[in-house]
Amino acid sequence: MALIELRHLTKTFRGKMQTVEALRDINLSIHQGEIYGIIGMSGAGKSTLVRCINFLEKPTGGQVIIDGKDLATLTPKALRALRQDVSMIFQHFNLLQQRDVRGNIAFAMEIAGMKKADIERRVDEMLEIVGLTDRQHNYPSQLSGGQQQRVAIARALSTNPKIILCDEATSALDPQTTTSILNLLREINQKMGITIVIITHEMSVVESVCTHVAIVDNGDLVENGTVEQVFSQPKSEAARKLIFRKAGADAGVMGDRMIRIVFEGNASSEPIIAGLVMECHVAVNIMYADTRDVGGKAFGQMILQLPEDHLQQEKAIYYLQNKNLRVEEVNGHAH
Amino acid sequence: MPIEKMVPLMIDGIRDTMYMTVVSTFFAYLLGLPLAIALVLTSPKGLAPRPLIYRVMDAVVNIFRSIPFLILMILVIPLTRLIAGKAYGSTATIVPLVIAAAPYVARMIESSLLEVDPGVIEAAQSMGASIPQIVFKVIIPEAKTSLIVGATISSGTILGYSAMSGAIGGGGLGQIAISYGYNRYQTDVLLVTVILLVILMQLIQVVGMTISRKTDKRVRE
Repeated sequence: MALIELRHLTKTFRGKMQTVEALRDINLSIHQGEIYGIIGMSGAGKSTLVRCINFLEKPTGGQVIIDGKDLATLTPKALRALRQDVSMIFQHFNLLQQRDVRGNIAFAMEIAGMKKADIERRVDEMLEIVGLTDRQHNYPSQLSGGQQQRVAIARALSTNPKIILCDEATSALDPQTTTSILNLLREINQKMGITIVIITHEMSVVESVCTHVAIVDNGDLVENGTVEQVFSQPKSEAARKLIFRKAGADAGVMGDRMIRIVFEGNASSEPIIAGLVMECHVAVNIMYADTRDVGGKAFGQMILQLPEDHLQQEKAIYYLQNKNLRVEEVNGHAH
Repeated sequence: MPIEKMVPLMIDGIRDTMYMTVVSTFFAYLLGLPLAIALVLTSPKGLAPRPLIYRVMDAVVNIFRSIPFLILMILVIPLTRLIAGKAYGSTATIVPLVIAAAPYVARMIESSLLEVDPGVIEAAQSMGASIPQIVFKVIIPEAKTSLIVGATISSGTILGYSAMSGAIGGGGLGQIAISYGYNRYQTDVLLVTVILLVILMQLIQVVGMTISRKTDKRVRE
């Protein structure tokens, strides 16, 4: 049984003038130990989705089952107890401004009703893990964004949760700080086996830490699976948009018919493009190429612009397919 | 008025004015704080929305806030007699002062509590905090600076009301100003009471603002 099960989850906001369907029939299973990325454009409903996981937002329909417990059936008291197993960190850190670093870390444990001596001991441990021992008596206003997020992570970890939910946790941070926070999250996941759900609009975040990814578009969960699967064979329009937006925007791709080919391991040693040009006498324009490390495996992709002539286009595609490469059309929406 | 008569008169006046202000502020907070917390919690966007209860409390606060203090003082004379045994003097004036100030104080506190970052409250909820925990561990401590500023303004206003009460039988500096300065044309007494009231107001302001600044942790040192 999955640690987090979402079944036919629906959330509708009813206003005076209009109703907004923020989430429509979401089904998702997240297992213990996974780092699950939930990605989508802003307004796609991903923040609402993560708030449904700990019932900060009550779903309009469907079930949220955490560790076998259906959240809708819990009493308010039982729900509060469950929330101590499901910590959350936020885009704007949400620290208590009037408490110092120690006080902020202690806060979650005070809520949980731990004994003072135990809290003090645990605060020291947490400070060690996030590397802020020398800053323990500072107030949030005296810390950088990255340091504040480390305090928030320490606070989230202090109650020994099974799950950590991250709502755009790196969106307010610069790239280097983002990397260090993501590394910290990965470390926590690997050392303590804590399941992490990461909400983001940045593909690079998913690429660098997630094991699995779900794509949310306009209230629908359009695609999910391992990061490798979704990256190499994006099925949905939204997934393609998110993956190619990065590729396309960097290279400034523009032109008529373009294809995307994907290399995985074996194919990368063979001179494919040279072969294509020499054997088929088809000239192609390399618009974009890169190799990325996705979940520890090298993964290459290339976007080629094909000549105008239809016959030559087909020849090139046939040749590439014969080399056992996956070939996909890159259509106008992709960039 | 000769100085040897003026000094003891003014000392009594200051003592009575301070007594009314401090005691009234205390009781106004005793009533206003729970009222403000209830307003914040039961509001439609609050943690425990109860629209009907909210609307009733909101209306009651507005009604009391819209009655001018002098008129309120006359209106509550029967109640004042019931509680204080008489309707004149410093102690009796505390009754209308508290009734006038409590709704005012409630509004001041309410606005301070609403300033607290909703993100921090959400974080506390995500940790499984109960409503009392959120109120006493998050909302009030986070609003501390703003609450102290509010208390400073409120006690200043109560000081002003207490002086006004001198017109219809209240005590303190206000009563001295009216009975000597206005009724007996002793301009020197009037001037001295005004100066003393200004000094008292300044004192409250300086002390309150210093405490609020000193206890605020948001400022970089």
